Amino acid sequence: MTLALLTAVPLSSVPAQTGTNAIRGFLEGVKPEAVPAWAVALTAIGIGVGITVAVISVIAMFGTWLERKVSGHIQCRYGPMRAGWHGWLQPIADGVKLLLKEDLVPKGADRVLYVIAPALVLASILAAMAVYPLAPGFFFADIDLGIFFILAMTSTTTIGVVMAGWSSNSKWSLYGSMREAAQVVAYEIPLGLSLLVPILVAGTFNLLEVSQAQAGFFGLNWYVWPWVNPFMLPAFVLFFIAILAETKRAPFDLPEAESELVAGFMTEYSGIRWSFFFMEEYAAMYLYSVVGAFFFFGGFESPLTWAAIEAFGDGSVMHQVAAGLTLIVKGFAGVFLMMWLRWTLPRVRIDQVMTLGYKYLTPLALVCVLGAGLWELFLAPVLPWRQG
Amino acid sequence: MAEPQTLPQSAPGEREFMLDVRTQDMEVNMGPQHPATHGVMRILVRADGEVCTGAQPHLGYLHRCAEKIGENVEWLQYLPYTDRYDYLAAMNNNLGYSMAVEKLMGIEIPRRALMIRTICAELNRIGSHLIAFGTYGLDIGAFTPFLYMFREREWMMALFEKICGARLTYSYIRIGGVFNDAPPGWLSEVERFCDTFEQKWQEYVDLLMVNHIFVQRTANIGVISKEMALDFGLTGPMLRASGVDWDLRRDMPYELYAEIWKDGVFSIPLGRGERGTLGDCWDRSYVRVMEMVESIKIVRWCLGAITPGPVIADIPKTLRVPAGEAYVGIENPRGELGHYVVSDGGKVAIRCRVRGPSFTNLAVLEELMPGALLADAVAIIGSTDIVVGETDR
Amino acid sequence: MDFRGILDRLRATGAPGLLGHDLPRAADPKDKKDKGRGGDPFVWVEPARLPAFLERCRDDERLRFELLIDLTAVDPSKDDPNLWVVVSLLSLAHRHRLTVKCALPKDAASLPSSVPVYRAAQWHERECGEMYGITFAGHPDPRHILLPEDWVGAPLRKDYVFPDEYHGISCK
Repeated sequence: MTLALLTAVPLSSVPAQTGTNAIRGFLEGVKPEAVPAWAVALTAIGIGVGITVAVISVIAMFGTWLERKVSGHIQCRYGPMRAGWHGWLQPIADGVKLLLKEDLVPKGADRVLYVIAPALVLASILAAMAVYPLAPGFFFADIDLGIFFILAMTSTTTIGVVMAGWSSNSKWSLYGSMREAAQVVAYEIPLGLSLLVPILVAGTFNLLEVSQAQAGFFGLNWYVWPWVNPFMLPAFVLFFIAILAETKRAPFDLPEAESELVAGFMTEYSGIRWSFFFMEEYAAMYLYSVVGAFFFFGGFESPLTWAAIEAFGDGSVMHQVAAGLTLIVKGFAGVFLMMWLRWTLPRVRIDQVMTLGYKYLTPLALVCVLGAGLWELFLAPVLPWRQG
Repeated sequence: MAEPQTLPQSAPGEREFMLDVRTQDMEVNMGPQHPATHGVMRILVRADGEVCTGAQPHLGYLHRCAEKIGENVEWLQYLPYTDRYDYLAAMNNNLGYSMAVEKLMGIEIPRRALMIRTICAELNRIGSHLIAFGTYGLDIGAFTPFLYMFREREWMMALFEKICGARLTYSYIRIGGVFNDAPPGWLSEVERFCDTFEQKWQEYVDLLMVNHIFVQRTANIGVISKEMALDFGLTGPMLRASGVDWDLRRDMPYELYAEIWKDGVFSIPLGRGERGTLGDCWDRSYVRVMEMVESIKIVRWCLGAITPGPVIADIPKTLRVPAGEAYVGIENPRGELGHYVVSDGGKVAIRCRVRGPSFTNLAVLEELMPGALLADAVAIIGSTDIVVGETDR
Repeated sequence: MDFRGILDRLRATGAPGLLGHDLPRAADPKDKKDKGRGGDPFVWVEPARLPAFLERCRDDERLRFELLIDLTAVDPSKDDPNLWVVVSLLSLAHRHRLTVKCALPKDAASLPSSVPVYRAAQWHERECGEMYGITFAGHPDPRHILLPEDWVGAPLRKDYVFPDEYHGISCK
């Protein structure tokens, strides 16, 4: 069905439609007479949301499997091997188990907040995913403020985490959520500032346009290379550290510090509610990694995409597939790097985390923005490979 | 300071901390089930946000009346109980108890038995320090070195399984010697273990000891000064990390250690304040890691000097130990393990007191925790390297 | 120093509370009942002067017992009217040990606390006190340490009878 939808999308010579619009167009074409227009619109939206949820679920499931295999191999063991070939069915088994678990709310917990918190956390990530394009011609919202929207939505997960910690009626959860709130707020600043560097170079917030701006030359046009702008590489390093802190991954995993706080703010959650937090973590990791891919590593552009365009034409199905695959590979490369770091490095203490964020990363990020801006203003117009 | 506060719902006899009443202080319970307390122990932490303002350890969750049992079972029957207090270094426990009873009996141990005892005790020291360091990394957040260290520990446990049939609680070192001789090929396998370990330990140092984040988490944390260490009766790595040059194996040698020291085989690692203050958590980890290397040297010496012979002195099945009392302290991986046995000439001990190093070492926690951050509290508890089986007995 | 040297030093400096000593001895061949005594020598000290004695042991130049290794008690038998409190000391500077014993009547088992002299005594005295029913006067925190707060009785005494039930849990 996805292929049918993809072929229904017009080629990129025409401004692309959003996925939801394409679905609506398709459904209007096939609907029976009696069904009113608003029902078609609703169905289209429902299908769009469903696809996003499915994408996130698959990403989260694959993320958990990848984490267990990566951690296993780093630790000289195999990881899951029994559920399917090399354990690929393990996430499904875990999901079934979690669904069957007793749904409990701790005594004395604030029931309303306790129930809303995981939902809010996952909903924020789902909303951020609305802007994430699966392929150059297939997305749900092509808004000009793409990255701005993503950053805003991923920040609202903090509210959910704080709610979770507070409503659990457990001091350990409270510690976890307080640390989380402080940490995330502190690292929003370097995150935003380091993203300003590629935004300065690209001149747009829109994810698709940023990706298109890095096309050509077999990937030598990617923003991360020093000849594009020497402040890009430091900006990428800062960005990567900031997303480690935002997604609460080691070495910044104090909010869920397993050996100290049992499980931090997630301590009192079990079953499907806990799996929402878990899904959010992997979805956020993937989402931030994809953002990094878009702004620093070319997004959809890669030698594979170029080959697909040359062979099958710009906007063709194969182009979409190649571009989509490229993005997925880049996204999971970032995720793999984050996992690798988690199993190598110890945890940084909370006051050291804050010191790093406010005293070192933020000034560095400001320097990067200033330097990048000056470079763009004075040197970029005279560099031959930056013309056009 | 304010008067001690007693809340109406306090248990009888329980006193509150002597602190000013501040409404924002939070009392958090670490334990009894907690990943960081290394066993079943409860620490009541009073915290102002992230800063600890007081700590009260509550012990006794693992109290299994070892000392009372010592007064009710025969001398030889008590040996399996000794395994179970410091279960990570069971050979050393067996050794301590056996030596105390042997001192009362005044018997001589065959030389081959002494050699095998030393090999087992030192291998167990390595195993115990591997766990100590590995779980310390786990507390700090480094998950992987723990598993790498368990590779070597598994090998060590396999060696012990070959010699006595058990992996954790051996009951192998008996009164009068050891239970049975090493099977053929065991000694050469120990030598292979030594060869491999000498390559591997540097890996642990590179991965964890000198990792910048680990150093930041442990240096200048939980500093124990020399005076404090002596006042609290600390022994073992906790004492040596504060710069006090004392090791029972060298200074009050027992078994073969006088000979081994005279041959210049091993040295005593001391804390030097290399990465922070002298006597901080990093120094304690450093002392433990370097001690493992020294233990390998001792094992090699024994492998070179061992000769065939009997492995146990002639001990009757129903042992009647001559009347008297004796105290023997040996160097356990955690400190001085002391056994004080009192006999009236009968089949059963009058008193079998176990002086566990973890019990004494833990007392320093009440002094170190106030002022530390909660994450540091975990680092400090981990650096004391306690085994709750020994703390509670 | 060996035990003789330590004993002479204690006597020479007039250590407070020193009552006597006991050395290991072989069995008396003439007396069938005397089995002799093996093991370690020790000194007897008056219970009320124990902290002062320990302070002397810690501070004297030739003794210098910096570490309190152990503070425990022994109940020799049901018939003996006394408990013994046994203190083990260790000197790092001079590499010698000393065992110090006090005899306490079982029905009035009380002696001053040694915590001002050695902080190590704090937990040892708590355990000793709860296990033998000994009161250490002046101890800053005499709660139970290994036993539950509301445990009744001194378990390590020879005449201790195990309770039938504890909080509804049968102990039989």
